[in-house]
Amino acid sequence: MKNLIKYEFRKTWNTKMIILGIAAFAEVAFLVSLYLNLEEINGLSIFALTMLAFGGVMFIGIQSVLTMHQDMNTRQGYMLYMTPNSCFKILGGKVLENGLSIFAAGAFFFALGALDVTLLVAHLGQLQELINVVNSFAKQLSMELPLNAEFFGLLALNFLCTWLNVVNTAYLADVVATCLLSGKKHNGWIGLLLFLVISGAMSALQQAITKGMAWQPMLIWDAVIALACAAVMYAATAFLMDRHLSV
Amino acid sequence: MLRSEELTKAFGAKTAVDHVNLRLEAGHICAMLGPNGSGKTTWMKMAAGLCKPTSGTVYFEGEPVGVNSRASIAYMSTEPYFYTWMTLKDVGRYYGDFFADYSAERYRELLDRFELEEGLKTKTLSSGMMAKAKIAVTLARDAKVWMLDEPFNGIDLVARDRIKEAIISAAAPDKLLLMSSHLVEEMESIADRAVFLRKGKLIKEVDIDTERAETGCSIADEYRRIYGGQEEEDA
Repeated sequence: MKNLIKYEFRKTWNTKMIILGIAAFAEVAFLVSLYLNLEEINGLSIFALTMLAFGGVMFIGIQSVLTMHQDMNTRQGYMLYMTPNSCFKILGGKVLENGLSIFAAGAFFFALGALDVTLLVAHLGQLQELINVVNSFAKQLSMELPLNAEFFGLLALNFLCTWLNVVNTAYLADVVATCLLSGKKHNGWIGLLLFLVISGAMSALQQAITKGMAWQPMLIWDAVIALACAAVMYAATAFLMDRHLSV
Repeated sequence: MLRSEELTKAFGAKTAVDHVNLRLEAGHICAMLGPNGSGKTTWMKMAAGLCKPTSGTVYFEGEPVGVNSRASIAYMSTEPYFYTWMTLKDVGRYYGDFFADYSAERYRELLDRFELEEGLKTKTLSSGMMAKAKIAVTLARDAKVWMLDEPFNGIDLVARDRIKEAIISAAAPDKLLLMSSHLVEEMESIADRAVFLRKGKLIKEVDIDTERAETGCSIADEYRRIYGGQEEEDA
């Protein structure tokens, strides 16, 4: 398993290094602009870091799906599937590597965000003002948000778990399109439709279970349901690969 | 050692391998012959566990092929399949990480024999260099079965001789070497058995020396006899 994870990481590390490089550049721009009081550049760098945090985590997941697709549909897949590893193990390596990467990237950007907010507040001394603005906006939307570190931490965890589940659902849809619908017309579109239907069903399930809950338990339950669904998606995908995958 | 029973693979309306019953024993170098589309590659891929049969089974040492057999069967595809980010050194490491029967020393020795540097990036290799690299890493495994799909494709005469030497040196009484090729004369000089496939069906299995002694025909003559009609038919 260690080797499978290692090579899954190796396949995608160029992109991860690019994301890290852009983050480093934006962070330097943020720090310099903060120090020199360049408000416009400071605002731009905060925007870039925020977008990169979400975009980077999402791209890591998308790239994992693309790599999985490539491994099933190109000759390079021989490298993976001729090794003495079961489909459960091979897919497990992909899921674990992707999960670790998503959570590591999430933790990295969360820590960077916390550091930058701390620096911003220390520099401007306007934390309370910032919280008031967000609170008044939330009240306008009739939302009671506990704006503290726990809330943001749970929100980030929820996002990461949900995204992991989305990626696992995409694996399943891709395997169905590649293995069960191979050579059939519009198999890609059918796979996409399947992905949307499963995602919709899981979202409905989450909403049904967490209906009426306060924000914090809702975020926790959402994350737990997403992880449980991700596990089901993994098992279904590996089962199909084991029975039907030909590379 | 390796046998297929009623092995069939269909891709939609086309049947690539059609109820093939074949038994291959250790201690032989076996040539799998047939024109394009005769089912050689598909049969090998099913035996390597890369491709699922539509029906029938391939057995390795009495067990259906699968995860366990991949540890003992070394398959070399005719197409390049190394990850493009790899150097030849990375390819060796990869095999070392996944195959217990892999020898880094043997790999280096084969790369030297084929005049390939470990630092070469796989995406920069010419087709001939790639073919040699694939042979080197596949034969660096001390597998029980080697299946080489078109090992002489895109390779010049001198390199071909070196590959033949490498293949012959890998042969042993407890090993099976199965190769497919269009270069029938080349195969005749190293193989002792030949299997003829045509349109997915097994046409004939022969012991090359016995065939030559009994009929006076070479494998090339036999190939022309079997497939000559088909080429006219195809034309």
